[in-house]
Amino acid sequence: MAALHNHSSLRQSSHPLLFVLQKSNTRQDEPRLGRLSLLNRVPMDTPHYVAASSRGAVPHLSQDMMRENTNIRAMYTALEDFIEKASHQDQTPPIFNFPAAPHESPLRKFIALQKSALLILGPRRIPPLPCPASSTDSAISIVTSLGFGMLEYTDYVEAIQKLRPDIVLGIGDVLFGHKPGVKRIDKMGDRTLAWVKELVDGMKDEENGMPRPALFAPILPIEAERQSYYLDALQDELVDSVDGLVLYDTASIDAIPKTLWHLPRLSLGEMNSPHKLLDAIARGIDIFTIPFITETTDAGIALGFSFPATKAPDVDTPLPLGVDMWAPTHAKCLSPLRSDCLCYTCTNHHQAFIQHLLNAKEMLGWVLLQLHNHHIVDNFFAGVRQSIQNGSFEDERTSFEKTYTVELPEKTGQGPRVRGYQYKSEKSEQRKNPPAYRSLDDRKEKLVEAAVLSPSADANDFEQQGFAEKAE
Amino acid sequence: MSTSAQSAALKFEIVAKCSTTKARASILTLPHGPVSLPIFQPVATQASLKGLTSTQLAETGCNLCLNNAYHLGLKPGQETLEKVGGAHALQGWKGNILTDSGGFQMVSLLKLAKVTEEGVRFLSPHDGTPMLLTPEHSMSLQNTIGSDIIMQLDDVIATTSPDAERMKEAMERSIRWLDRCVTAHKRPEKQNLFCIIQGGLDLEMRKVCCKEMAKRDTPGIAIGGLSGGEDKMLYCQVVSACTDLLPPNKPRYVMGVGYPEDLVVSIALGADMFDCVWPTRTARFGNAVTSTGTLNLRHASFANDTGPIDADCACTCCMPEDEGGLGITRAYIYHVAAKETAGAHLLTMHNVHYLLSLMGKVRAAIIEDRYPEFLHSYFRRAYGDMAKVPTWALTALKEVGVDLLA
Repeated sequence: MAALHNHSSLRQSSHPLLFVLQKSNTRQDEPRLGRLSLLNRVPMDTPHYVAASSRGAVPHLSQDMMRENTNIRAMYTALEDFIEKASHQDQTPPIFNFPAAPHESPLRKFIALQKSALLILGPRRIPPLPCPASSTDSAISIVTSLGFGMLEYTDYVEAIQKLRPDIVLGIGDVLFGHKPGVKRIDKMGDRTLAWVKELVDGMKDEENGMPRPALFAPILPIEAERQSYYLDALQDELVDSVDGLVLYDTASIDAIPKTLWHLPRLSLGEMNSPHKLLDAIARGIDIFTIPFITETTDAGIALGFSFPATKAPDVDTPLPLGVDMWAPTHAKCLSPLRSDCLCYTCTNHHQAFIQHLLNAKEMLGWVLLQLHNHHIVDNFFAGVRQSIQNGSFEDERTSFEKTYTVELPEKTGQGPRVRGYQYKSEKSEQRKNPPAYRSLDDRKEKLVEAAVLSPSADANDFEQQGFAEKAE
Repeated sequence: MSTSAQSAALKFEIVAKCSTTKARASILTLPHGPVSLPIFQPVATQASLKGLTSTQLAETGCNLCLNNAYHLGLKPGQETLEKVGGAHALQGWKGNILTDSGGFQMVSLLKLAKVTEEGVRFLSPHDGTPMLLTPEHSMSLQNTIGSDIIMQLDDVIATTSPDAERMKEAMERSIRWLDRCVTAHKRPEKQNLFCIIQGGLDLEMRKVCCKEMAKRDTPGIAIGGLSGGEDKMLYCQVVSACTDLLPPNKPRYVMGVGYPEDLVVSIALGADMFDCVWPTRTARFGNAVTSTGTLNLRHASFANDTGPIDADCACTCCMPEDEGGLGITRAYIYHVAAKETAGAHLLTMHNVHYLLSLMGKVRAAIIEDRYPEFLHSYFRRAYGDMAKVPTWALTALKEVGVDLLA
């Protein structure tokens, strides 16, 4: 594989990205090993995942933590996280004024992403919040920190020209939250084609001698026939401009024309368990965004699976995919989250501390879980790549499915405070964040902050803990 | 008099004294390593410094942080602390820890707390059952926590209280409670019990308390009951009166103080150690402590400010990327402040680093005997014009021989 490091081939190519598959596909869908290389970035072996960011940071991880204590190779950012000033206050978003040298990405500098990591930019967050308004011929609906808005595809092109990520995702005319009707399906391919073309034309305008961002074009989550005109264009006039494909669900693999099989495939689909990831890997997806990492972290759950499974399957008692650290049973446990784990959290801390931090609603609890959970997923993909290499992937996948439960553990505890751009409330749902302040009484506020014992604790608990004794 | 002192678990050595002011530079050696004084101690109330890992905290230069015995006594509780092996083991912190006794929280957080000779009577925050916290309870809990410095339970009342009788009672009771704490303290060879001088704003009462408590010969001495909204001028008088009377060979800790100008003035008045939640709490609201004052980076005027949080700062956030930092800008903090937890972590890191680095500069100035010059340049930088420096600071510094207007 040493040849894959060779960047000189990258420099000469019209493509800013080099994706080399270890073996060419013989079928439409089969697991594949690849390596994605971009100039000046550490190559990424696939299958792999891309960390999803929120406002430029992986949730809970300050940039130094991410650099020093994770193996994150690629980060996904969403334009809607940066343009609330444009969409709501008719001002230039600060990110567009951010200074950078010609060879630098202002976005990368703004969010302080390390130079070695791949920077991917798409229009919507991962996972995207559903919007009430539908797309138009020229714009999609977005959510910013100031509320719902529209993103014109021309503005998207302009943003890409300014922000210069390594990889940009074409906008697909895709609905989130419900299925498209027949009339809408007819428009999806046409709109997506128009938007992708505009992006290709826009990126040609750059004349600073730097490679253009690599473009990943959407494969729409509809049958191939319903988007054939668009797919034809991808193989024909756009073939030199498209460097990868974006899929919104695994089934869309079937729509990829044979001539595009060599392109890397990024899935934005909702893979809500490692089993779903394995299914998608088996069908030939290369790169994933994985919302469940941050979701489990926020829920106070420590992921706990490995691939291949290290234990023989026991059908009667499948292993859990994670452990709910809110459970008081961990309060005195001095073992790390996982005995064999080498992440920052497991090397430095025990379960008792994590449980305490969650219980005390200290932000560090989510930091430590986020480091651990990313590490688990990192190792999972390393194991997957090794098993494909060994030719044992199918067997290991079957064994993994038998070893672990189907679903991640239920969320029991309270997560961190959520913001409107991070979470969409459902009808008749209880409020997501408990009220922080009830009165202007400072003492009461501090008492809330002190959040003592469990809600059911009484004087006996205090006494038992030796903190104080009952007066009478 | 001697300029160093040693007790079973502590060594205090004065390295240099300012020839003009009462400022001192010293080394305080505790069971978890030496600490250079003067020092600001960040407050990790519940065994965690607001989202920072112990590695990040150490990287700010911190080797002595605070935990709160009141909070740890409730969560995770004494029994768990016992099982885990104390607060160091709980939080994976290799540096030193100081714990507050819980008396202050009892009175400031709990309505209807009542202090009797026995201890603090309060109603359980959950079910209203009457409870009693005694000096013996506090020692037992802090012994279990295993902190390097433990504080006596004291009778704290607001300095602004007009009730002189009650103030006197509190001061005298704090002395009696100190005696009970000394008796109840089970690990003097591993943990250092500090007394807490009380007496409100009454200098005579403070003098009596200083004299009495100094007799008890605790390894260190705290000046308590301040930083409760009293007139800064009176605050300075109290600190100065106490440092005049306290033995010079003991570390002096002024509790609850954290504004940069309060620190530099209090150091000139002879204090060595400080703590305050302000720098870390204010970080979570998007406020950055800088050499030119505190900036609210959530203000729209910073949205396009592409400079570092503080151009003079050498913290991980402020250092440019090619010098090993992150190159975080004010514009990025504006983008994430009060929205992403990571934004709070970045500013917390900066603010703690700022105060620790300020203490480092103060210390260097004392050692080189140019602390008066340091004070001049510090206040000129922070206020632009010396005429804008608050009167209390001008007055207090003039008392110790530094005339900022000269």
